[in-house]
Amino acid sequence: MLCHRLLARRPPRTSYPSLSISIANMSTAAPTRNSMPSALTFDRHAKCSTTKARASTLHLPHGSVPLPIFMPVATQASLKGLTYDQLRETGCMLCLNNTYHLGLKPGQAVLDAVGGAHKLQGWDRNLLTDSGGFQMVSLLQLATVTEEGVRFLSPHDGSPMLLTPEHSISLQNSIGSDIIMQLDDVIATTSPDHARIKEAMDRSVRWLDRCIAEHKYPERQNLFCIIQGGLDLELRKQCCEEMVARDTPGIAIGGLSGGEAKEEFCKVVDTCTDILPEHKPRYVMGVGYPEDIVVAVALGADMFDCVWPTRTARFGDAIVSSGTLKLSHKSFADDFGPVEEGCTCVCCRPTDQGGLGLTRAYMHHITAKETVGAHLLTIHNVHYMLTMMGKIRQAIIDDQYPAFLRKFFSDIYQGDKSKYPEWAVGALRGVGVDLLADS
Amino acid sequence: MDQATSASPVMTFSVLTSSAPVLAPRVGRLAIPGRKTLATPHHVPLTSRGTVPHVAHDVMRDHTEINSLYAGLEDFIAKKDAPVYKTPVANHESPLKKFICVADEMPLILGPRRFPPIPCPPANTSTSIALLTSVGFTQLSAAEYVKSIQKLKPDIAIGMVDLANKQPGSKRRAKMVDRTHAWTQEALEQLYGNSAAEENKSKSAFFAPVLPLDNAQQSLYLDDLESEFRWDISGLALYQSASLGFVPESLADLPRLLFSEPETPHNILRDVSLGADLLTTPLLGASSDGGIAMEFTFPAPAALQESKSEPRPLGIDLWLGDHATDTSPLGEGCECYTCKHYHRAYIHHLLVAKEMTAWALLQVHNFHVMDNFFAGVRESIQRGSFEQDVETFARIYASSMPESKGTGPRLRGYQLPANGPNQPRRMPKIWGQLDDAIQKYAESQSEVATPDTDASGLEEHGFAEKL
Repeated sequence: MLCHRLLARRPPRTSYPSLSISIANMSTAAPTRNSMPSALTFDRHAKCSTTKARASTLHLPHGSVPLPIFMPVATQASLKGLTYDQLRETGCMLCLNNTYHLGLKPGQAVLDAVGGAHKLQGWDRNLLTDSGGFQMVSLLQLATVTEEGVRFLSPHDGSPMLLTPEHSISLQNSIGSDIIMQLDDVIATTSPDHARIKEAMDRSVRWLDRCIAEHKYPERQNLFCIIQGGLDLELRKQCCEEMVARDTPGIAIGGLSGGEAKEEFCKVVDTCTDILPEHKPRYVMGVGYPEDIVVAVALGADMFDCVWPTRTARFGDAIVSSGTLKLSHKSFADDFGPVEEGCTCVCCRPTDQGGLGLTRAYMHHITAKETVGAHLLTIHNVHYMLTMMGKIRQAIIDDQYPAFLRKFFSDIYQGDKSKYPEWAVGALRGVGVDLLADS
Repeated sequence: MDQATSASPVMTFSVLTSSAPVLAPRVGRLAIPGRKTLATPHHVPLTSRGTVPHVAHDVMRDHTEINSLYAGLEDFIAKKDAPVYKTPVANHESPLKKFICVADEMPLILGPRRFPPIPCPPANTSTSIALLTSVGFTQLSAAEYVKSIQKLKPDIAIGMVDLANKQPGSKRRAKMVDRTHAWTQEALEQLYGNSAAEENKSKSAFFAPVLPLDNAQQSLYLDDLESEFRWDISGLALYQSASLGFVPESLADLPRLLFSEPETPHNILRDVSLGADLLTTPLLGASSDGGIAMEFTFPAPAALQESKSEPRPLGIDLWLGDHATDTSPLGEGCECYTCKHYHRAYIHHLLVAKEMTAWALLQVHNFHVMDNFFAGVRESIQRGSFEQDVETFARIYASSMPESKGTGPRLRGYQLPANGPNQPRRMPKIWGQLDDAIQKYAESQSEVATPDTDASGLEEHGFAEKL
């Protein structure tokens, strides 16, 4: 309960100096906006000659991140049972924490006293935090969004609370993450209320201005804006223009992965990346199935996060190049091969190569029964995702990304093109790759 | 000082220092060809389904000094034709080690049951014991167990023993001795007897059980251990500290593995002073689960010996809010991986947030503390100052572990005693998403004028009378 008060400690402001300006400027980008300091540099190395895929390096205060990248989600300052050396071993350079969770536990006062989330969790590489808005709306009952911020009832004692863009940025300043996200007005993309979607988009732009104004450490934390606008491509375009004008160091595409059709998702990403500047990293929030990622990369996105690889690990599902293996299934009980042949993660590598030589049979034996089963499979799945991103990046650098895409889908569907998902075929056709054509 | 060595074909145990053959602390070395050598007294890390709880294999390899493991067969035989027996191995390898993916040089001890075992309501029979697999209670026959030893090739096999769930009466005691006697005889015959061809003789060292009964009650059995069985057994497995006093002098040079549940390091020191060589210490894992970082060293540090203040706590409860912003290591000057890379505030946060990493990091620390404790015990015995050091330790440290205020990890069926009737929920409900709906549903029902109880209920409440 104390944490909640801390989260909403600041009294709501009565007036928002930046608010009036931004409303006035809604239709045309501000002519006299100061360029924003940035704590990152973005090196572009290669662009696919067919698709919109890019290979680049993002230099952040805690190390360089090869892009495109998948970021595992360490919600509460820990990646599900792993030590940070185990996470480092998977090759992870950038992982997520959730502002909402850290605001509740351990709370802003503790974060300030300890000196930020890096110090709290002993992680010397990069952190990204979301704004907390998504959790407000998805986890909490009776959250309502007003111009001031998100009103919600404390899950502990039911007392009314308010989270404003200022609170969110102040918390993320205390967390000290290398990339911080603006508070945005999140609504389900599947919402039928077009007026509400437009309102959310406009409000997200106004809140971005309040976030920029509140941000105390632009020279060491990078604020990313979040493009909203639901599935309405016109709104998305408007939002892109408004937000690009604010010149944040990076740009996120938000409000997706909320159950919308994949075709719609692809259209939104495609539309936004057409408008977004080439020299800034693009982050598609909450997207993480391997198929979604490879397609979104082809559409020009650079960064992804999702809890799926780590969550599914705890249920005993291993991600492999042919899809996922349900290791709890009895068919794996006496399968003494590694989780994936040729995988270089510490679990799959044989002991004579410094690995642990774990077998599917043993993972079956402990999965969902011992916490160690979750730890080990989490390592494998995060490693799989990062290795996949590495292969994507190399393919782009070698200008072989279309070939990579063909092989990727062929592996998952055992070469049966009739099973390829239509949305992926359609989206990739739009960027010049025909998955169904004979190669 | 005496120097005694017991050497069976498969294992050598040398006693390096001892003032008396029995009932005295002693330092020894247990050597199995091709395996890590164990300095005794030592604790035996306990596994659950082949893992040290919360310690992933790479963490164990990289950040702990774990150099032996105990596993219970019941963790592996939930199904008929269990997969563990099908593990592909080279001739000399142990299928069990290969199955649980530990290195061949790790000494592995196999017993029929995990430790501590969950009491089983079904009774043992004259040919089998009741045990609990992950799918329920079953019986393991003595013959099957011996076959498992032959197939799984552990470095040390604990003989099957008939233990009673509650204090046994005289008839039960007689049965316990007779059965254990017969099982031991049969096992030794099958493993090393003349009936087996030389190349088929087991390479596993056999530790014969000593029953948790008085000397007189099992004298026939102990006599046989001293004579007929003597050269086939490599050690003794004991089930209560008092049994350390019943070890016949002629068996004194055998290593003694004590299966007990010491609640404090003081209890451990008592067992060591009575001559235990290998000890189980479930308090280690229980502390980690409870959010307790153990904090004691043996002998007690000189700096503490001067002070006459309050007894030192044996551990710190990281659930306590005092640690919320404390960035100091769990133990002052502790050299373990956890203390070198993380701090109290983080572990406290992880516990409160119910993150699994808390238990993993606490295990690493607590294993380090326990390893150092036993190293200190061995040095102290070799120096000849053990008795004195124990006294000082008892004076300086609190008499019990701090009680944990928090909740541990979720327990699984095979980790819990069978549910009795009217037992409270072990863990609170965590999935409450539909509670609202249920409440609304209940409320909508209560609008209709129907009472919640039947006629006799109404009568009981004095609401109305049954006619």
